[in-house]
Amino acid sequence: MRVLIVEDDPDLSRQLKLALADAGYAVDHAPDGEEAQFLGETEPYDAIVLDLGLPKVDGVSVLERWRRENVATPVLILTARGAWSEKVAGFDAGADDYLTKPFHTEELLARLRALLRRTAGHAAATLSCGELRLDPKAARASVGGEPLRLTSLEYRLLHYLMMHQGRVISRTELVEHLYDQDFDRDSNTIEVFIGRLRKKIGPDRIETVRGLGYRLVALEGEAAGS
Amino acid sequence: MTDRRAGRPRSLARRLVVLAAGWSLAVLVVAGFAMTHQFQKAALNRFDRDLSELREGLFSQAMIDPDGGVSIPDSIDQRAQRSLSGKYWQVDTLLANGSFEPEVRSRSLDEYLLAPPPRSMPIKPGKPVFYDTQGPLNKPLRVTAYLGKLEEDAQRRTLVFMAAEDRSPLDSDARRFAYTAATALVILMMGLIAAIIVQVRIGLEPLFALSRDVAKVRKGETDQVTGEYPSEIAPLADELNALLAHNQEVVERQRTHVGNLAHALKTPLSVMLAESQAQPGALAEVVNRQALAMQGHVEHHLRRARAAARSQGQRERTQLSPVIDELARTLERIFQDKGVVIDWDAPDDVFFQGEKQDLLEIVGNVMENACKWARRHVRVVAAEAGPRRLIVTIEDDGPGLPPGQREAVLKRGERLDELTPGSGLGLSIVEELAKAYEGSIRLEAASLGGLQVTITLPRAET
Repeated sequence: MRVLIVEDDPDLSRQLKLALADAGYAVDHAPDGEEAQFLGETEPYDAIVLDLGLPKVDGVSVLERWRRENVATPVLILTARGAWSEKVAGFDAGADDYLTKPFHTEELLARLRALLRRTAGHAAATLSCGELRLDPKAARASVGGEPLRLTSLEYRLLHYLMMHQGRVISRTELVEHLYDQDFDRDSNTIEVFIGRLRKKIGPDRIETVRGLGYRLVALEGEAAGS
Repeated sequence: MTDRRAGRPRSLARRLVVLAAGWSLAVLVVAGFAMTHQFQKAALNRFDRDLSELREGLFSQAMIDPDGGVSIPDSIDQRAQRSLSGKYWQVDTLLANGSFEPEVRSRSLDEYLLAPPPRSMPIKPGKPVFYDTQGPLNKPLRVTAYLGKLEEDAQRRTLVFMAAEDRSPLDSDARRFAYTAATALVILMMGLIAAIIVQVRIGLEPLFALSRDVAKVRKGETDQVTGEYPSEIAPLADELNALLAHNQEVVERQRTHVGNLAHALKTPLSVMLAESQAQPGALAEVVNRQALAMQGHVEHHLRRARAAARSQGQRERTQLSPVIDELARTLERIFQDKGVVIDWDAPDDVFFQGEKQDLLEIVGNVMENACKWARRHVRVVAAEAGPRRLIVTIEDDGPGLPPGQREAVLKRGERLDELTPGSGLGLSIVEELAKAYEGSIRLEAASLGGLQVTITLPRAET
């Protein structure tokens, strides 16, 4: 397993390198944003530990560029910035986990293990419907290349609609496939989710078929996908 | 404040009204007196002219009787023939010793005599005089007298021709005019004052509008003074906006400085903690303990800095639903190994009266706590609650808390060692933040089975 550490503090970098090497990882180190950018795009890492406050280019910008360049390597953000606004920004930029300083080395190792285990398991083809794309492996969706920001229920709803695009799907069917067995089900909330999803992917992609349910369609001028 | 103590007029409107009213009152009083005076003068002039005509008639129509007496034809004035009619004439002889001897008089005088010109008004030949005196029945009389000699008078007497008329109709006319003028002027005055008040109201309206706009800024409905102002007030509004922006900038800068310092300390602290934990020993133990204490201080002062900035941030408003959406997405990623599903519902038109960062902190910590304890399911429901309040309810399907422990959970964070990441419930921070916004937090049993946290916060008017 090969891991990239992006951290500008020399003492912390040394500690991290030692700890990760002890745990059996091959470790590379980038002390600033530019080098991190380059290494992340050219080397096939299994995971990246990324500091946010970096010289030259800040961590969030580096991460956003990786994701734009389709670097799918799981990224764990390791930062002193622990406010929720910063966490949200980090995840929205494409992070997979977030750890705030000061931290325990054991916790970092545990998080890294979990991250690697998670990304290893999935293998499924990308779904598309017009400009809409959904990657079940990374659990990410996008419209015209712009990443969509979905909660897990919204993602599940979109996933199910994309798997059955073009077909009318009733609310009951959606409820059954959206929720676990022990969830208390309320088919009215489906309307809420459809409304919210329409706001995020564009209102015309989901048609309401009165009395029957909903149907996902490609917009006019877009080629329908798989 | 000083104005109030000194007893000076505090109200700009009142000051303007009092000034304008005082000035117009003075003008109207002067105008009233001048008009009345002018009227009296004109009326008296007319009166005197009529009297002069009679007097001239006396002089021109006077004849000397064969016996040497002076005679005036009765036809000279109709009114003067009726007893006490108010119109009189009389001819006297001015004796050498300065006294007057009546020669002939109108019938209307009956047994009365007209008083000759007072000594204070010496009468000279060829120049008529006018004076006031009392006549029959104590009526005020206007008299004109003329000194003349008749050509055919063999005795060469100096004769005084006097014509007189009761002047009380003139006086009552003048009084009536004064009353009418005064009434008209008082009405005009009241109308003027009303007009001034209206004018001041309308004139000052932009100022009132400005103060309403500033109040809006304070309440957080806008962050700048907007609106069209007249050219006199527009610079003030611009200055206000510049001041607001400057204030905001200063606060932002301070906040960033404190934040940068605190965050800059965290990396060295990480190194010290990791280093001291890796090498056991007495020194390492002291370093470890002190580093933990430093970490507590850093967290504490970061929160203080945010709280200080908050008093400036009251004017901001934050839409609730995107914040919950962001947090739900982020937390589902953080807890994706556990497979936590966050089910949320919040109306789009509910706004929190305060900063987005603080709302994220408050709701984020509670939601994180719920995800930590939940088995699979977290439910977040937000709604408005009465005027200017909103509530966010966060439930989980975890083990929950027995009633006795709920109180204690909110207090726990006060101890430093409870502030380390991952320990405690973080709810004390939430309560502290909510209280800073005059909100509250309540713990109950959730219908999902676990803990339900209800947060009440100020809602911005939409």
